[in-house]
Amino acid sequence: MPMTDALLSSVEQLFSLATLVSMMIGVVAGVVAAAIPGFTITMAIVLTLPVTFTMPPLQGVATMLAVYVGGGSGGLISAALLGIPGTPSAVATTFDAYPMARKGEPGRALALGIWASFFGALVSAVVLIVAAPPLAMIAVKLGPWEYFSLILFAVTVVASLVGKSILKGLMMSLLGLFIATVGQDPMMGVPRFTFGVDVLAAGIPFLVVLIGIFAVSQLASEVENPTELQQGKPLVSGEIQFRPFAVMREVLSHPGNLLRSSMIGVVIGAVPGAGGSIANLIAYDQAKRASKTPERFGTGIADGVVASESGNSATAGGGLIPMIALGIPGSAVDAVLMAALMVQGISVGPRLIMDNADLAYGMFLAMFLAAVMVLAFCLVSMRWFLRITEIPKSIIVPVVLVCCAVGALALNNRVTDLYLLIGVGLVGYLLAKLDYPLAPLVLGVILGPIAETNLRRALMADEDWTLFLTRPISAGLLILAVLSVAFTVRRILRQRAAVQA
Amino acid sequence: MNDATQTVSRPERETSSERGKALANVIFNAGLAALFVGLFIQAGDLPSSMWEPLGAGSFPRLILGALVIFNLAIMVQSMAALRGTDRAASVGARRWFLQRRLAFATLASFAIYALSMPWIGFAMASLLFLLAVQFILGARRGRRLLIAAIIAAIFGLGLYALFSHVFLISLPSGRLW
Repeated sequence: MPMTDALLSSVEQLFSLATLVSMMIGVVAGVVAAAIPGFTITMAIVLTLPVTFTMPPLQGVATMLAVYVGGGSGGLISAALLGIPGTPSAVATTFDAYPMARKGEPGRALALGIWASFFGALVSAVVLIVAAPPLAMIAVKLGPWEYFSLILFAVTVVASLVGKSILKGLMMSLLGLFIATVGQDPMMGVPRFTFGVDVLAAGIPFLVVLIGIFAVSQLASEVENPTELQQGKPLVSGEIQFRPFAVMREVLSHPGNLLRSSMIGVVIGAVPGAGGSIANLIAYDQAKRASKTPERFGTGIADGVVASESGNSATAGGGLIPMIALGIPGSAVDAVLMAALMVQGISVGPRLIMDNADLAYGMFLAMFLAAVMVLAFCLVSMRWFLRITEIPKSIIVPVVLVCCAVGALALNNRVTDLYLLIGVGLVGYLLAKLDYPLAPLVLGVILGPIAETNLRRALMADEDWTLFLTRPISAGLLILAVLSVAFTVRRILRQRAAVQA
Repeated sequence: MNDATQTVSRPERETSSERGKALANVIFNAGLAALFVGLFIQAGDLPSSMWEPLGAGSFPRLILGALVIFNLAIMVQSMAALRGTDRAASVGARRWFLQRRLAFATLASFAIYALSMPWIGFAMASLLFLLAVQFILGARRGRRLLIAAIIAAIFGLGLYALFSHVFLISLPSGRLW
């Protein structure tokens, strides 16, 4: 399909009433969900997935993107008004937005964050459109050797970025890869590790792992502390005044900061495993270093809010780059988006842009559209935001758990999936308590079949193992994988030495 | 995987006892290592293929082998950490559980919810579950209990109606009626 046809077709699909309505609902759901402390963006997207099963592919993915982009802005609300990051991506937002709100300018803090988010998402969508197609052109030429090495690289980067111990991170990735082998073998269809148990016969569905890990076990840790359950009153009282257009000019008067933070977000989003939760902190840190008045950071200045919010929003588009171009999800959220496409029977990989160009362009456009919708929704509804953050956890947790059950049932309508969900949730909860990072496990589960298929294809084509080391791109990726582990080990050893000294 | 999770469920307490955590890790990793060795041996029986050098069992064995190594390494690390802690300090498994009783109660309710769903159906099970968990988490009387009941009714019945009529995803309707 030529590019213009694909573009027109995607515009046509995207601007249908059904898609616009479901995207708008997605935006609202994303903003609201992320504004509630304890309800993460990932949770919201995971729970949106089953709803999209009955939609056409582009509508489904566009709706999920809407939740994603909406969630990016929603975390800002509780960060600015309560000083609690609604999602991990908004941690750095609390540094300046909250002091600003307490100083009597909650409206300005929110509007700054919303505009910064909007421009961040915009920049990332532009980079995505420019970068993904050429990257996919290169990626199509990669053989199974390069793919296998790429996955090894992705797995080691994820393991080294999250959590305190790289051993535990790597172990979780491997555990994920192993969980993916339960069920049928991808090439021969032989049942593996099912032990004749019905529950395991179809394997452990990815969606069940995802909901179990990111929702059920997360929710269980939300209700640990009885005193925290009764949420305190917001520390910022009533009256929110805001002048959206004056603030827009204010945001645009920091072009350097805006662009730098957005680019940091894009790059970090494109690295597997890193994401909004890291980008906001790095963008904030870099903005502080570049500032002429670094000592004012943390006291409630515009620069801090702009850096954090544009940084975390820009990761959305960045994360889509490896997914669309290589078929390797950069984060848990991208893994869910990829799962959504796979459920629809669309294979995600470098050929996506060629075979389903309308879908790929539709996703690019949906990013833009969602950013605009979030902006419009937030500017209109800002006055009611305080209310959202007041909903107590004793209501949120059970309601979201019921949504988890619906999500697990929607996939295959098997009650056994529900039992698996509880098992995964409990195991995930205990693993988290033992300081095991959970994100590598989830990425392992989705990358497992891709890794295995490519490894076996590579050896089918040529039995020579050394090709992994002699093909230049493959060797380069393996060296990067080793380096990422080595640097992390060095960093941890230094930290330990510093603590002891 | 079940036996491994049961071994870990016992001794651990997060905040004050590093010792409990290290001990839990040792037991957990020992259990997992044993499990993976067992699976590694079992994977040897998986058929090989005429068409490719790697059969169905090779990739899992590669992963399982690496998992055993990593588990042993974490175990050694935890044992070193264990030696570094005060021997007299209690592990405090009981307190750890008591502190997190609400989390476990919520998960237990969720399990009961799943088990009862095939019998009493999604709508009824959800309604009872929502009410029970809100009660457990603090909606004990008066206005809060009333709100809890309203929420249970809206979401229990509402989600059922929404998914079965709007999204056409069939949810269990219950065997008893």
